Amino acid sequence: MAPEISNVSMFFLVFFVLIPVSLSYFYALGLSKSIFWSSFRGVTQLFLIGYVLTYLFSLEPLTGISIMLTVMIVVAALHASKKGQGIPFVRSITFLVIVLIEIFVLVMWLGFDMISFQPDQVIPMSGMVIGNSMVAIGLALERMKSEFKEGKGKIIAALALGAKPEQASKILVRKIVKASMIPNVDGLKTIGLVQLPGMMTGLILGGVAPIEAIRYQIVISLSIFASVSLSAMLVTVIFYRFFFNKNQQMIQMKES
Amino acid sequence: MSIEKVILEAKNIQSDRLKNINFTLHEGEIITLIGPSGAGKSSLLMLLNRLEDPNEGTIHYLGKDINEYPLEQLRKRIGMVFQSSSLFEGSVEDNLKFGPSLFDEWKPERGKELLEVVQLPKEYLDKNVEELSGGEQQRIAFARTLANKPEILLLDEVTSALDVKNVELIERFLKEIVPNQVKAMMMVTHDIEQAKRLGNRTFFMNNEEIVEQGRTSQVLEAPKTNTLQAFLKE
Ligand SMILES: Nc1ncnc2c1ncn2[C@@H]1O[C@H](COP(=O)(O)OP(=O)(O)OP(=O)(O)O)[C@@H](O)[C@H]1O
Ligand SMILES: [Mg+2]
Repeated sequence: MAPEISNVSMFFLVFFVLIPVSLSYFYALGLSKSIFWSSFRGVTQLFLIGYVLTYLFSLEPLTGISIMLTVMIVVAALHASKKGQGIPFVRSITFLVIVLIEIFVLVMWLGFDMISFQPDQVIPMSGMVIGNSMVAIGLALERMKSEFKEGKGKIIAALALGAKPEQASKILVRKIVKASMIPNVDGLKTIGLVQLPGMMTGLILGGVAPIEAIRYQIVISLSIFASVSLSAMLVTVIFYRFFFNKNQQMIQMKES
Repeated sequence: MSIEKVILEAKNIQSDRLKNINFTLHEGEIITLIGPSGAGKSSLLMLLNRLEDPNEGTIHYLGKDINEYPLEQLRKRIGMVFQSSSLFEGSVEDNLKFGPSLFDEWKPERGKELLEVVQLPKEYLDKNVEELSGGEQQRIAFARTLANKPEILLLDEVTSALDVKNVELIERFLKEIVPNQVKAMMMVTHDIEQAKRLGNRTFFMNNEEIVEQGRTSQVLEAPKTNTLQAFLKE
């Protein structure tokens, strides 16, 4: 059984909150209120999610997993697609992309018996993949808009050379996909040396042997890497077309 | 008077940014386009290779409506070079082969030939375009468009950011390529002297219209309208 942190111990976390509060007071940063509020909000959210997860874990695996995945994917899609305001169908396509990625990782995980179909395994693992894909999609959408704006001259030059929109976009799409991969490539190089990844830390604290914990970490790190690159790629290969009309001309995107 | 072959003909063009555009472009000719900023010069060029479409009117290329050509073919045959050189990231060769590769027509020897045309050493092929000077970049942009073997060249203020030497060099080779490599050319310039040096005919645009068109010497030395007279005095 994992060691528990008692309520009394939890209470002393107040000291951690008091440090930024006193700094804010001392340097007149005017942040005291928002520090209290965000700490309070964060704690409450985590307690709530603790109860929600406890409840979901007690349900039939299929029911619990479906409910939680649906919520996570909807929230992630809404959040990621905000970055792509002005692009047609951005919400529904983002939703579909995340669904696709989730299906892909689930098939891998379950198909090769990396994890079992239990809420306490599928939900946290999926949460990490969905969360990272959400960030990757948001970044890809944002980059896409800015690249198409800054790189407009290049795209027009490519069209003027006889390129189809797909071929013209390639010069920018390459850049966007590459940019989405670099943080992961860098992250994997130093993983475990500087900071133990969150998931592994959690498992070790929960009493799992380090040599077992790293196996889960490897599964999740590589799954995230794959999903993040896939998200950026899918987003760009799906959305580039909305920057052109049917006569292979660039269209003006509405500013958001 | 010789009857020159018409290769491009625009009739009654109306677009969001242009009114009553009518003109013909003949084989072997260079038309220079002048006019104040916002007059519609770039917009006019963009219609000819269908980077934009008009709301009304027709444009015929070699006797056929430009809408009847496959878009990629039309844009290949009517090449365009822009003010900012808009080169793609990568090497000079990557840029030169972009167009031909789209049509499976790239041969490695082409690279050296193209560099020769724009008077750059062949060692430049492997250079990253970011290492080039502004003038060199603009010459690569030219070579990139010429790589497609266009029949018509559209140039939009291609020398406005360059120094005298590069301008001279580019003008010299523009005179060489028309009509040997390229059948005709339309060039936007804000340099009246350049319009005189290169143009056979000159169009003056103002307020979305072609206000005057004719032999370059006539248009620039005996302007008919007050607007052009005022424009030339500036
Ligand atoms: N992408 C665009 N969207 C909307 N309006 C535009 C766009 N580009 C140009 N315009 C407008 O269309 C008109 C004609 O512009 P155009 O670029 O053809 O002028 P120009 O004669 O080439 O000017 P310049 O000498 O400054 O290049 C201008 O009023 C301009 O503000
Ligand atoms: Mg212009």
